[in-house]
Amino acid sequence: MDVLSPLAARAIDGKRLAPRRASLRSCRVGILDNGKPNADVLLGRVAELLVERAGAGPVRVWRKPAAAYPAAVIDEVVAASDVVLTGSAD
Amino acid sequence: MLGTDAFLSLARAAAATLGLPHLPVTMVPHPIGGMDAREVRAKAEAVVDHVIAALTSDPQPPRKTDSSAIALIGAPDALDDFQEFALAEGWGDGLPVLPPTPERVERILGRQGAKRETIVATLAPEQGVATLGVIAINAALAGAGPEHLPVIVAALRAVADPAFNLNAVQTTTHPCTPLVIVNGPIARRLGINAAANALGQGHRANAVIGRAVRLVLQNVGGARPGETDRATLGHPGKYTYCLAENEAESPWESLAVERGFGKDESCVTVAGSEAPLNVNDHGSTAADALLLAFVGTVAATGTNNIYLGGEPLVILGPEHARTFAGSGWSKRDLKRRLWEGARVRLDRFSRENLERFAAIDPGRFGGRPGDAEVAVARRPEDIMVIVAGGPGKHSAFVPTFGATRSVTVRI
Repeated sequence: MDVLSPLAARAIDGKRLAPRRASLRSCRVGILDNGKPNADVLLGRVAELLVERAGAGPVRVWRKPAAAYPAAVIDEVVAASDVVLTGSAD
Repeated sequence: MLGTDAFLSLARAAAATLGLPHLPVTMVPHPIGGMDAREVRAKAEAVVDHVIAALTSDPQPPRKTDSSAIALIGAPDALDDFQEFALAEGWGDGLPVLPPTPERVERILGRQGAKRETIVATLAPEQGVATLGVIAINAALAGAGPEHLPVIVAALRAVADPAFNLNAVQTTTHPCTPLVIVNGPIARRLGINAAANALGQGHRANAVIGRAVRLVLQNVGGARPGETDRATLGHPGKYTYCLAENEAESPWESLAVERGFGKDESCVTVAGSEAPLNVNDHGSTAADALLLAFVGTVAATGTNNIYLGGEPLVILGPEHARTFAGSGWSKRDLKRRLWEGARVRLDRFSRENLERFAAIDPGRFGGRPGDAEVAVARRPEDIMVIVAGGPGKHSAFVPTFGATRSVTVRI
């Protein structure tokens, strides 16, 4: 028999990603900490290594008060950073 | 974006929600929470080359999304075979479903068929477009009829309200799911149970309305258990969770009336809710005494509400409601007395949790001594109270997700 699919199409069209950098030398690194346990440690260590190995820096950290809501400070993070590291979920 | 491998599909869905399905995602082995810092730093060291590559090499071009019309699909004729088919397609919830044939769907749409392309809501986490037509298809799967469609539609409009925070409710490890509470004349007209066993089985309207809403959230919103729906344990309300308030036996104004709607307006409220915890009190005969059973149950350390806020819900059986009202208490009085009485000492939480809570809510948790107390909600009016159920001296406490607000809409 014929049945109708209960699944729906996605509403969103793919957006363009920001252009990639040729190198991370002197890139301002923004960390958006989602507040989950040890997110700060993981993201912080990755950022330290980006500085050590790829010459990135300086590094600045913003923290979301709760993981479940989008960051209110996102515009500020984007304006102050060339690349941003963030975490998803646990 | 960085995450742990256990949450890869959720991370990808989050990126897709923002129109960036091709955002580079770097994974480390799960977990990182609860580990010592040295081990977490080692995980970071293992993936930093991947991060450098992700930040410096060209991304894949964006995938075209397919916004074609609803698909007509060939399925097995035999009902038993159709169940296997629907399971394999991921359309159902594990219980039997009815085939969403064009005839069945047309019957559900009725005169609304002309408006089947109307967009009712866009649903997180995958931003699926819920048209009237696709809602009717899911209603067909759930065994609902045309009379149930307006309630299902209203509930979906409500969960799509930004205040509800559907993306978080759909994807969290917390077990929450929308509890659908119906007020007004439509409840009696459709036979939505408000009385004995209102949260249990037996009434078709409760069963199919709640189920249709859940199937739309899965099939259109895209939250699938083990993938984007990360619930650690979940609860049976994720099959169906719908009741009407027992307005006939409530001594007070209904939830909808509290929120400014008329007694004769039919409304739906959705609240991101856990399973109910029973409150048994067979002895108390006055409000002050009966309050104790509630205070003791509601002052719990393991809810989301205690540190995230939001609106914990109390469902009073009619006998308990009459005991409170019989002592002259209004609903407001009950909320205030509950809020004042249900307090948790800070030294009942672990040190690690107090640190986490203090980062989220420094006012209530930061720099206070162990014998200081917190209330179960930020304000008395954040405690929701409805009356439902049949005879018997039981009520229920329903903690909610916390990072969500309940939403009431007119049907």
